[in-house]
Amino acid sequence: MGAAPTRIGQQDPELVERTGFSPEQINNLHKRFLQLSGNKDTISRENLNDIPALAYNPIKSQIIEAFFDKRNQHDSEVGSLEEITFQQFLMVMSHFRPPTLEMTAEEKEAMRKEKLRFLFNMHDTDGDGKITLEEYRKVVEELLSSGSIEQESAKEITDAAMLEVASTNVPHMGPEDFYEGITFEHFEQILKGLEMESRMHIRFLDTATVHCGKS
Amino acid sequence: MQPCYSRVSLLLCLGITFVVWFTILFVIITVPAVLEVSLGIHRFYIRTLCRVFEWATLQIELSAKQKNRQFSKPHTKGILSKSKPLSVQENMQELRSSAHSRRSEPQFDMGDVIYFCRKGVESIIDDEVTKSFSAQELESWNLLTRSIRRFPHRGLRLTLLWGLGVLIRYGILLPLRVILAVTGIFLFVILSTSVGFLPNSKFFLGEKVHLMGYRFCVKSLTAFITYHNSENRPKNGSICVANHTTPLDVIILANDRCYSLVGQVHRGLLGLIQRAMVKSSPHIWFERAEVKDRHLVAKRLCDHAADKTKQPILIFPEGTCVNNTSVMMFKKGSFEIGCTIFPVAIKYDFRFGDAYWNSSKFGLVHHLLRIMSSWALVCSVWYLPPMNREEGEDAVQFAKRVKAALAAQAGLADLTWDGGLKRTKVKDAFKEEQQRLYSEILLKVHQTQKQEKCFEDETPEGD
Repeated sequence: MGAAPTRIGQQDPELVERTGFSPEQINNLHKRFLQLSGNKDTISRENLNDIPALAYNPIKSQIIEAFFDKRNQHDSEVGSLEEITFQQFLMVMSHFRPPTLEMTAEEKEAMRKEKLRFLFNMHDTDGDGKITLEEYRKVVEELLSSGSIEQESAKEITDAAMLEVASTNVPHMGPEDFYEGITFEHFEQILKGLEMESRMHIRFLDTATVHCGKS
Repeated sequence: MQPCYSRVSLLLCLGITFVVWFTILFVIITVPAVLEVSLGIHRFYIRTLCRVFEWATLQIELSAKQKNRQFSKPHTKGILSKSKPLSVQENMQELRSSAHSRRSEPQFDMGDVIYFCRKGVESIIDDEVTKSFSAQELESWNLLTRSIRRFPHRGLRLTLLWGLGVLIRYGILLPLRVILAVTGIFLFVILSTSVGFLPNSKFFLGEKVHLMGYRFCVKSLTAFITYHNSENRPKNGSICVANHTTPLDVIILANDRCYSLVGQVHRGLLGLIQRAMVKSSPHIWFERAEVKDRHLVAKRLCDHAADKTKQPILIFPEGTCVNNTSVMMFKKGSFEIGCTIFPVAIKYDFRFGDAYWNSSKFGLVHHLLRIMSSWALVCSVWYLPPMNREEGEDAVQFAKRVKAALAAQAGLADLTWDGGLKRTKVKDAFKEEQQRLYSEILLKVHQTQKQEKCFEDETPEGD
């Protein structure tokens, strides 16, 4: 079965630094990783697909793709992986770590940029650094039910949203002008007002305070 | 010549001592089983084991502190902290209220993705279904080989103790239990078949024989069961439902009173036992082909339940074994029949041995061996007051109500997930539901925006 789970956090202090999780959290996530992978060293898309609670999520496939996206590994590579190891799993998870109190304003800004980057990558499926109208429409369509809402309404909503975005970037754009797509900088600007730090992090249970008494 | 004799006599002495000691143990256990008498040994055994476990955990913590390593406690309560579950609508309100107050912000689409994103990652980290189908984690070490890897800082004393434990469990307890089980089954089959030949007091004697058989099984598993609220014990002509953790649940429950079991006809040893059982007591065994016919099954159950003199039917509505931390969805079949339901909650104490049968990991025989080589099988059984279907309540709601009561009594989590998810995937209909909810929100916003735009167009002067 490989190294005993209790040692992963201690064995690899580099993991702690790179991902920002505590050794405790890394141990727990490693157990979860083994549970999902069936005690193997890598996870494939199938393993994540099998989680029942995830099946409820409209953007399930985008979320799963995000785990296999090379861009989320803090590398400059583009493309996607077939399977991911625990280190890569943790790297993706690190986008969702909670902000700590001791963070400086700089670190907070960096974390926000990271989360925005994650979201951007999720929309930008072909990896060219721009979210085109097509890509954006695809995400919105996934969120909306194909049953109760007509195609026309969905198209309207997407177009309206895209037009707003375009007009903030290029104020005097005419209907014939070709809008290339939303760049990352523009994306940042659009979501400037949105308070992401508390919306996009996972609340870990503080195991240190759990009293370990008789079961 | 001399050394030869002394060696032989030594061996003979050892052999005799061993046999005598074994027989004494055997008699001490068998006689009470047959005569329904208790000797109070078990309380002493349990108390001693508890003290040993506490001491072991203390040793581990001390040695971990000495070596200055972290002793990480398992996340028995889950990885994520549980906040109040908000609906899709409430979450959206929260998200939008943090955005600009400007109308028609494009943020309404982009920001909403964050909500679903986070929910998705949370389910990847911790979800209820996968957790319910994997074995529970212990907080302290119970000296079993299975959990040894999680406690590497053991020290010499503990390792010795563990070695002693292995010797006792595999050398003494396991053979004793296996012999007991074999004897019990043998006796039961013979007695049950003979009772079947008696014309009159067949069922009365049959009950006695069944109870004896179950007591034997219980002793062979070293199961210590506490029955609570015995005044609610199931009565004749009703249905008894319980949560399912292991096939041995049947033995645990039937130790107290006889039930009619429902199941498929098997071949081999199990088939022999089934045939012997049916001779002295009315059980409902189905041929493989009949199982597929739901109406036939329902009819036979109905007929049996309608006869008020017959024993209660024992059914496990979850349909599969769950790891005893939660209760999964109850299938509505048994709740449609329309007679009184007696819910029974079973909760195992995991310190003495894990009773959960993970059928994807090991087969039945392996599971039985695991249980027989654990320290003991300690559990509590609660009899809940009878429930009937109320006016205007359909089978599904009735099933939910029963499940909630059962989960509350035993302290288990009440889940709405289907136990069949152990082997199959979630239907797409559930994803459609979430999409529909979100679409409604979006449509409302879109409509109000459209209306406001129209209003503006009509009154160009505005405010």
